[in-house]
Amino acid sequence: MKQPIISFKHVVKCYDDDVPVLKDITFDIEEGKFYTLLGPSGCGKTTILRMIAGFSEPTKGDIFFEGQRINEVPANKRQVNTVFQDYALFPHMNVYDNIAFGLKIKKMPRDVIDQKVKEALKMVQLAGYEKRGINEMSGGQRQRVAIARAIVNEPKVLLLDEPLSALDHKLRLAMQYELRELQQRLGITFIFVTHDQEEALAMSDEIFVLDNGNIVQTGSPVDIYDEPINHYVADFIGESNIIEGIMLRDNLVKFAGKEFECVDEGIRENEPVEVVLRPEDLDLTDVDHGKLKVTVDTVLFRGVHYEIICHDEVQNEWMVHTTKKAEPGSLIGLYFDPEDIHVMRFNESEAEFDARLDSYEG
Amino acid sequence: MKKSRFKWSNLYLILVFCFLYIPIFYLMFYAFNAGSTMNKFTGFSLAHFGELFADTRLIIILLNTFILAFLSALIATLIGTFGALFIYYVKQNRSKTLLLSLNNILMVSPDVIIGASFLILFTTLGTAVGSLNLGFITVLLSHIAFSIPIVVLMVLPKMQEMNDSMVDAARDLGASNFQVLKDIVLPVLSPGIIAGYFMAFTYSLDDFAVTFFVTGNGFTTLAVEIYSRARRGVSLEINALSTLVFLMALILVIGYYYISQDTGKNNSKGGGVK
Repeated sequence: MKQPIISFKHVVKCYDDDVPVLKDITFDIEEGKFYTLLGPSGCGKTTILRMIAGFSEPTKGDIFFEGQRINEVPANKRQVNTVFQDYALFPHMNVYDNIAFGLKIKKMPRDVIDQKVKEALKMVQLAGYEKRGINEMSGGQRQRVAIARAIVNEPKVLLLDEPLSALDHKLRLAMQYELRELQQRLGITFIFVTHDQEEALAMSDEIFVLDNGNIVQTGSPVDIYDEPINHYVADFIGESNIIEGIMLRDNLVKFAGKEFECVDEGIRENEPVEVVLRPEDLDLTDVDHGKLKVTVDTVLFRGVHYEIICHDEVQNEWMVHTTKKAEPGSLIGLYFDPEDIHVMRFNESEAEFDARLDSYEG
Repeated sequence: MKKSRFKWSNLYLILVFCFLYIPIFYLMFYAFNAGSTMNKFTGFSLAHFGELFADTRLIIILLNTFILAFLSALIATLIGTFGALFIYYVKQNRSKTLLLSLNNILMVSPDVIIGASFLILFTTLGTAVGSLNLGFITVLLSHIAFSIPIVVLMVLPKMQEMNDSMVDAARDLGASNFQVLKDIVLPVLSPGIIAGYFMAFTYSLDDFAVTFFVTGNGFTTLAVEIYSRARRGVSLEINALSTLVFLMALILVIGYYYISQDTGKNNSKGGGVK
């Protein structure tokens, strides 16, 4: 593995009161990838970002940038740039001066600045907007100016602090594509902070799921979605049915009063576990063909699919996403494949979880 | 229909403004009197203006007054702006409130008390050091002192309007503390700073009580001079002078209006490229 561009080693952060916002965080960031720090508000994700940017220092532990310890390096001496949540554009400057700000500070020659600002504007699809005032621009345009102002400095790492949260839904989707494309074109590392799991899944190479000052799980969007480590991750990312059960032996789990074949291994026999079934993995069928017999409670039309809430014979609630329609009150069957079942142990650490998965997935 | 409607609020405003302005216009009107008293208007003449311009003592006092106002407002604006910055960055809420209250007490305490306390300070210092004569310097110092709280009060709200993440952003883009101050903070604060300067300027211009206490033999300002002449019986020269000062104030106000409009426009339109 290459040397990571940023590493956190046992970083703890406490603010004035001694309650830690971050509890012993260790991770590596590799060059050229799109990372997302995902978690609810107050989980410490913005604190991590501010420490990388240099706006705050860790209480304990060390931060390394390309192998150099940078705990005390001030923000203006770091090779990272930030796109702020509220954009933080300078209202007394026009678009050109905003974007040129960093370059002017570096005392670059005028013609180089002109050239770079033009390129940056083209990159965010705002060519020709140089002389606009900031207050004349829409939210989406300001967002682009903020991105241009950061990338024009050619940082090694670009930090994005919930930059899409102020945009409307459509624009947000469009910006997701653009950001992803921009990252691939520039080839620099993006660290993106968000509480929106859809954004995280759509854009990232690697997601860090945070909860209450800890990194709970690290992995690609597919890994995290398909194999969440615990209840919290399964619940936070996507919709899921989480049912308590018992692992009878490898590849056999019991829940909802029945035994089911699954593909999970390495768990003690008769250990109590939680089982995750994603709503889109459940298929409606007739009662005879179903693995589970359920009664339909409500049917909600969601546009792309129906969201059907039903309950089984032992009163577990099930959510199903399907394009088929069902009648409330009717008895139907639910079908799913062994691969659709994901079994989670209680209190399993990420290292143990990864080791167990490696042992049978090879 | 609406136009012909009689409004009490309009009448109220007209009466109030009449009450405020009639004395001034009355005074200005007699500045053009041919006679030498305000008993009777005997005919139009600019003679008093002529007298005024021939009175070099009064012209020098006028200039002194403006130089004093200019300098004291300038220095007070400098000190007050940084004072507002530091108060803003005081972390503890209690000390911040305390500092602000101390600032506001100076705003509301009577000029006579400020003047008297400065007189005591300067005379004590004078006996201790031996070389501090009451005059331009003492007046300037006290004018700076009572103008600083005004500037703080005008600048601080702008500081609170300023988005803190703008400072972070500037640092993030590589700006040093000084560059952040020069390129981001001061430009954003400039409307407040300009307003503070003008307020300090006018406060200095029309101060009587403090100046009266701390000035000595060699130096007087317009307010003090007019007061002492008025006690000897107002000559219409004073009316002429007041007319000129009033016009000057009018020009200042108009000037300030245009400056504030201009910065407002810059905020929304972004101005031109440098």
